[in-house]
Amino acid sequence: MSPLREKILSTASHLFQTQGINSTGVDTIVAAAGTTKMTLYKYFRSKENLILEVLEQGHQDFQTWLSDKLISKHPSEKLQQLFDFIEEWVTSPNFQGMGFIKASAEFPSETSAVHQLSSEQSRQFKQYISSLASKADIEDADGLALQLSLLFEGAVQAEQMIRGSGAMTYAKKAAKILINGASRH
Amino acid sequence: MLIKASSTPQGRMLSLFDILDDWLNAPQINAKIAQQDLLTKTEGGPLLVAYLTEQGRACGASHPIMLAEHLVLIARSAAQQTINQPNSGSLGHAKKAAHALILAQTPATKSIVNMLNTPKVYGIAASLAIVISVVSIVLPAMHHSQTTHINIVQISPPRLTTNILRSSTGITSDDAAKIYAKYEQMRNGTCQFPEALQIPEKDKAIYLEDVVGGKLPSDVGDLAIAKFYLEKVHCNYTPMLMDHSK
Repeated sequence: MSPLREKILSTASHLFQTQGINSTGVDTIVAAAGTTKMTLYKYFRSKENLILEVLEQGHQDFQTWLSDKLISKHPSEKLQQLFDFIEEWVTSPNFQGMGFIKASAEFPSETSAVHQLSSEQSRQFKQYISSLASKADIEDADGLALQLSLLFEGAVQAEQMIRGSGAMTYAKKAAKILINGASRH
Repeated sequence: MLIKASSTPQGRMLSLFDILDDWLNAPQINAKIAQQDLLTKTEGGPLLVAYLTEQGRACGASHPIMLAEHLVLIARSAAQQTINQPNSGSLGHAKKAAHALILAQTPATKSIVNMLNTPKVYGIAASLAIVISVVSIVLPAMHHSQTTHINIVQISPPRLTTNILRSSTGITSDDAAKIYAKYEQMRNGTCQFPEALQIPEKDKAIYLEDVVGGKLPSDVGDLAIAKFYLEKVHCNYTPMLMDHSK
């Protein structure tokens, strides 16, 4: 990836997370990245394409970070520690929100490509939890994954609204209750 | 609707999910309109958060405002999923997640002790007693109100006593998880339950609904009672073939 393209992508990502996607204009991105509109459109063709790439990149970064953290764990440990790591990520100083959750709220129309991608990423995350639950021998893996993803997304939204809200700490406790309840004994 | 839905603050918070489920399954409601409302209409949001905050306080939640906001976010997200996929069961799962979240914020022993130590509770109880007494004196013809008075006086003290005794044994959110796991396990076995006739009248409803019926109680006092009787249930998990080959 060219350094300029990367610079536009990271600038846009930061501005979308801190100022909102709809309220960040192309002019602002261009000014903050120190480039021109022509260059931005050369790499991304439209603002919508730029948003989609930012979402793809953010989701990939999160998935990679999480997978690396959980790589050497036993399946049941992975599930138990999933929320520990998510809490670590959410409470880190660099946390600026979860792309697909913000995008979904800002683009509610189902016909929007941004909405469709954010829904797909939400589904992929649920699927990831479900696969962990399944490997941990949880009978209703999909049901548990749905419960945990609702808890997680709610906590991230709460944290996006008020930084340091502590919502993730309680979500983590609730997740442990649900996981223990769903585990076979 | 929420106020009438349950007699406990936990139950009232959780009934939000049942009401939403009923509402979204009502054939006369256009799903698309409902979706627009959920996403764009915010007038009801602060009122709902305020109501849930009040319920959270009543059940001794550590951070009632945060709990209320989190519950609304979960409900909104699950409702949206239900609209997109009507058979996903999202609101049912959201209710389970919400229940766990309430348990995580309200450690049983802490909430019971807090509630009993709060002078406000005694104040409310005293006010209630005065109101009921005045009604029964001023309106002696209202036989019904006298009956209500008798019922309240008879039921409330033993229930509080039971809660104090049971909570002193240390009910925690982990216990709730264990009870839930036990219900799941019991589905795979043949279980012998104590005779309902042997159960004291005051605990019978909880025993039948929560232990025999397998419903996890949302009230901390009920949880302690359910745990007590659950320990008296004996189950056989021997696979049927193995059992017959003996």
